[in-house]
Amino acid sequence: MLKQNKPLFAAMIIAVFMLAIIITGCDAPASPSATTVDPQQTTASAVAAAGTMHVTVYYATADAMNLSPEVHVVPKTTHPAEDAVALLLQDPQSHDLVRVFPEGTKLRGISIKDNIAYVDFNDKFAKNSGEGSNTEMLIVASVVDTLTEFADIQKVQILVEGKNVETLSHMDISEPLSRSEKIIKKHL
Amino acid sequence: MRRTVCLLLFVLLLLTTSVGMAGTGTGSSPATAPVIRIADASTDTSDSDNDSVSDSAVPQLTQVRWAPHIDAVTGASSLRIVFDVSGPVAVDGNELYSPTPRIVVNVRGAGAGKLDKSTKFDGAIVDRLAINAVNDNKCQIVVEMPLMVDDSDYKVFTLKRDKSTGKPYRIVVDINRPIPPANFNFTPGLRGKVIAIDPGHGGTDPGAIGLARTQEKTVTLAISLKVKDLLERAGATVLMTRETDRDVFGPSASDVDELKARTTVANLGKADLFLCIHANSFVNRTAGGTETFYYQKTTYDRLLARCIQDNVIANDGLQNRGITATNFYVNKHTVMPASLLEVAYLSNPDEENLLNDSMFEQKVAAGVVQGLDQFFTRAAGGDR
Repeated sequence: MLKQNKPLFAAMIIAVFMLAIIITGCDAPASPSATTVDPQQTTASAVAAAGTMHVTVYYATADAMNLSPEVHVVPKTTHPAEDAVALLLQDPQSHDLVRVFPEGTKLRGISIKDNIAYVDFNDKFAKNSGEGSNTEMLIVASVVDTLTEFADIQKVQILVEGKNVETLSHMDISEPLSRSEKIIKKHL
Repeated sequence: MRRTVCLLLFVLLLLTTSVGMAGTGTGSSPATAPVIRIADASTDTSDSDNDSVSDSAVPQLTQVRWAPHIDAVTGASSLRIVFDVSGPVAVDGNELYSPTPRIVVNVRGAGAGKLDKSTKFDGAIVDRLAINAVNDNKCQIVVEMPLMVDDSDYKVFTLKRDKSTGKPYRIVVDINRPIPPANFNFTPGLRGKVIAIDPGHGGTDPGAIGLARTQEKTVTLAISLKVKDLLERAGATVLMTRETDRDVFGPSASDVDELKARTTVANLGKADLFLCIHANSFVNRTAGGTETFYYQKTTYDRLLARCIQDNVIANDGLQNRGITATNFYVNKHTVMPASLLEVAYLSNPDEENLLNDSMFEQKVAAGVVQGLDQFFTRAAGGDR
């Protein structure tokens, strides 16, 4: 898929698309779509593109077996880890992937100490005993694998309402967890 | 003239966009992330300065660090030891069983430097790490362990210098926590065996609920009672965590109290095996099939899951989702081999119908009992 792992390719496509608009604008100033294009504006949007970042988010596959990465281009901020988890709480772009977090789950915050990310959710996160074994496994793995994409995060400790918890339903989350590679399916 | 201006603008645009993308892609790209991922915090960026100076000199080991890891899905423990090196090296690793278990890593192209010494570890995975100088550009890393590992339980590899993150050349040794030798002596047959059966959920906790309002706690109990009946007829003793619609710890208890109450029934009752029976659920209603979960705390947990899964699948005819290692509390905190069976998906309307069908439940129960029987035969025969 176009949006996976190919930022340069995506940049080329955007550039070619813009070239098409510019050339159309030059050759046919009467065209209705071209009249809205202002060279000043085009330059402004190129600057905006430089102010973006790529965030890799792991969503569940529709068969509840694996995680698969989805690369999102979002505005650059000083808190990319929070932005990545916020994306996890929303629906994925691909129809082949699904969001596994319970409705109403909110991120309270993330702090990073000694390369361990402490990611704190509200209590809706832990109230899902009816969601099935695979859901629990995929929720935990998606948080850990999404956050360990960042070079300064090696392990993830999940907190609920600021406190350590023993389990998410059956899944043991009492300790900081490291990335699971085996659950990732890169190509659907 | 306008065309020239437009083309110039385009070239400018292409450059700006590409540079912007390349700059922000670092660190979040899945293609590069695993390569630069190392165990420990201390990223010593000053090393890259030393590198440029010492590139002409013979490379040395400059630093060692380690960190324990727990896999987010399987819960498996491992230890990662990382050595920084001031130049590229070649390595090979060999495991030695005698006279004591150890991994010996031969490093060609770097001396031991100041790391020529031995360090004591806590003994959970590693007892002692020793780095021995061989000559100016060769050294040997010796990792002494309390238990034997086999060649699939450790990995030795090198990582290249990564200038964008300031990380030097590295040697990585990953070692899985070895499973203790089994303290079990299984014999064939179900007669005389003690089996703990845990019907998932119950009482104030309904578990998953299907579109037709079927509750997980009801079908797990129905299947479990059928398993109990068949096992008792085969001469086994069955310990049920519950035989009615009730909480095992108490109403509205925390997840961990409720799960611990269930593992306690098996642990106190000295059960030979523990089996937890569940019905699955997923946000996508097309997901379906049978799956068995285990945690390899003894050398028998995977074999038990394999036997249960194979025999239930042979009887229920659903999609075979296989066996999956997960960090599930009940499988981890029981002292005997344990499995958690997810029979079928209540969220899948076809499978919800099946789960309400007494004939289907009987077939699943028969598959479970055949699986338990097969486990004892295979374990007694030396299978792991």
